[in-house]
Amino acid sequence: MPVIEIISTGVGLSVQDCGRPGWRRFGVPPGGVMDRSSAAAANRLLGNCADAPVLEVLMQGAKLRILEDTWIAVAGADLGCAIAPWTACAVSAGTVLQFPMNRSGLWAYVAVPGGFDVDRWFGSASVDSRNGLGRPLKRGVQLSAVTSAVTFEYERVGRRVLAAELQHDFSRPMEFELLPGPQFDSFSSQARAELVSSEWTVSSRSDRTGFRLEGPALNVPDSIRSEPVLPGSLQIPGNGQPIVTMVDGPTVGGYAKIAILREADVDWLAQCRPGTKIGFNLGS
Amino acid sequence: MAQKTNYSLFRGARIRPYGERGYLLDHFRESKRFVIEQALSITPPDGFDEYVIGADNLLILFKRTVYECVLHEWLSGLHSEMLDSSKYARQIEVPVHYDGPDLATVAVATGLSEAEVVAIHSAPEYRVRMMGFAPGFPYLDGLDDRLHLERKASPRNRIEPGSVAIGGSHAGIYSVASPGGWHLLGRTDLPLFQPEKARGTVTDAREVFALAVGDIVNFLVI
Repeated sequence: MPVIEIISTGVGLSVQDCGRPGWRRFGVPPGGVMDRSSAAAANRLLGNCADAPVLEVLMQGAKLRILEDTWIAVAGADLGCAIAPWTACAVSAGTVLQFPMNRSGLWAYVAVPGGFDVDRWFGSASVDSRNGLGRPLKRGVQLSAVTSAVTFEYERVGRRVLAAELQHDFSRPMEFELLPGPQFDSFSSQARAELVSSEWTVSSRSDRTGFRLEGPALNVPDSIRSEPVLPGSLQIPGNGQPIVTMVDGPTVGGYAKIAILREADVDWLAQCRPGTKIGFNLGS
Repeated sequence: MAQKTNYSLFRGARIRPYGERGYLLDHFRESKRFVIEQALSITPPDGFDEYVIGADNLLILFKRTVYECVLHEWLSGLHSEMLDSSKYARQIEVPVHYDGPDLATVAVATGLSEAEVVAIHSAPEYRVRMMGFAPGFPYLDGLDDRLHLERKASPRNRIEPGSVAIGGSHAGIYSVASPGGWHLLGRTDLPLFQPEKARGTVTDAREVFALAVGDIVNFLVI
């Protein structure tokens, strides 16, 4: 039975799970939710497995109609929804969930009991519209949940809240620890020093394939023969401005990679809105 | 049963960590790459997730952080009595309409006539070296030196799937609509990637992708 109807997709709305690993060597990006940690939190609030399909809401504008009495969990970005991020609650049929504003973060995750029951491509529910994998959502599309009931005991319980220490505040300034990338040694010592001493600004030219950073132009070594690229890699193209590869990014590339983020930090970077200032360090 | 180890097979190979779960392997003989690929699919090291082929290297990705010695130990256990890669290679003919928008500029840049560019491009037997950039996009080895050109200074915003192209020392075929900086010589109707066939789970990559690493490709002039 359908549980949610799309009234408006807003800036961006898609079904995502933890992606489709195993096909990179054929050029298929791993894909999946941009912020695994928040999507897992939404699922956890309903007792789902961490990689159950969720709705990924990008910034403001999405509107969803609830078609059946159910439980809904929201986590990640604060988009002004009546269900606050990091909480789950019982919602009755007819309710309209709106995501009218962008208070913090970029991507909010909406989970239903058992996850959304949708078609899979390469075994994954994640939509990668650039590559024709999965169906983009449109107004009027109805989505079903795997189950109609939550698995936890909810008698006399109307709301669940994720433990405060597990909630993320995406508006706080971040400094990310970097691991050296495959071409770290090819960069000049000046470029390596500038990478960690500079303040970087997340560019508005960022999407599910890559986040661009603006700052000083780093000296670029010679380009390399195409080689594997992992999400979180700081690729330095000719203009010296880093592009951080994200989960829908190409599986191979020819730009030198000065460094790579830890996977948990890729989740966090994905929530940094254009204009956010970030810094890097090279650990100890 | 004790397996005879053969350290010489990958002597001099270099292993470098890449990210929290990956190792890049390079400085090994190209002929040994198939030994690794085959072993990864039959007897992978503990915790193995997937691998990605680069032009000069190979990424081995684990499901979790794994000590480098695990990979060393696994590599040293590989032996060369594995099957010949050529047994698995298929010969694929790719019909091409040589009417690409860059045919004239490539002719000028190389000092050849358009007919010569077509003849030189369609003459060799190519081999799929790696796939990537986009699903099903093949990097083909075997491009004649005379057609080695730097990528275009300003890439196109949209290239149609099926576009037959050259870039650097490789020939390639665009497999999905995407931006790109390669020079377009023609187009083929052969679908390289059929996402609709990836619905559900895929057990045989050949149902979804026209080509696989190691395949031999011939371009046929239409």
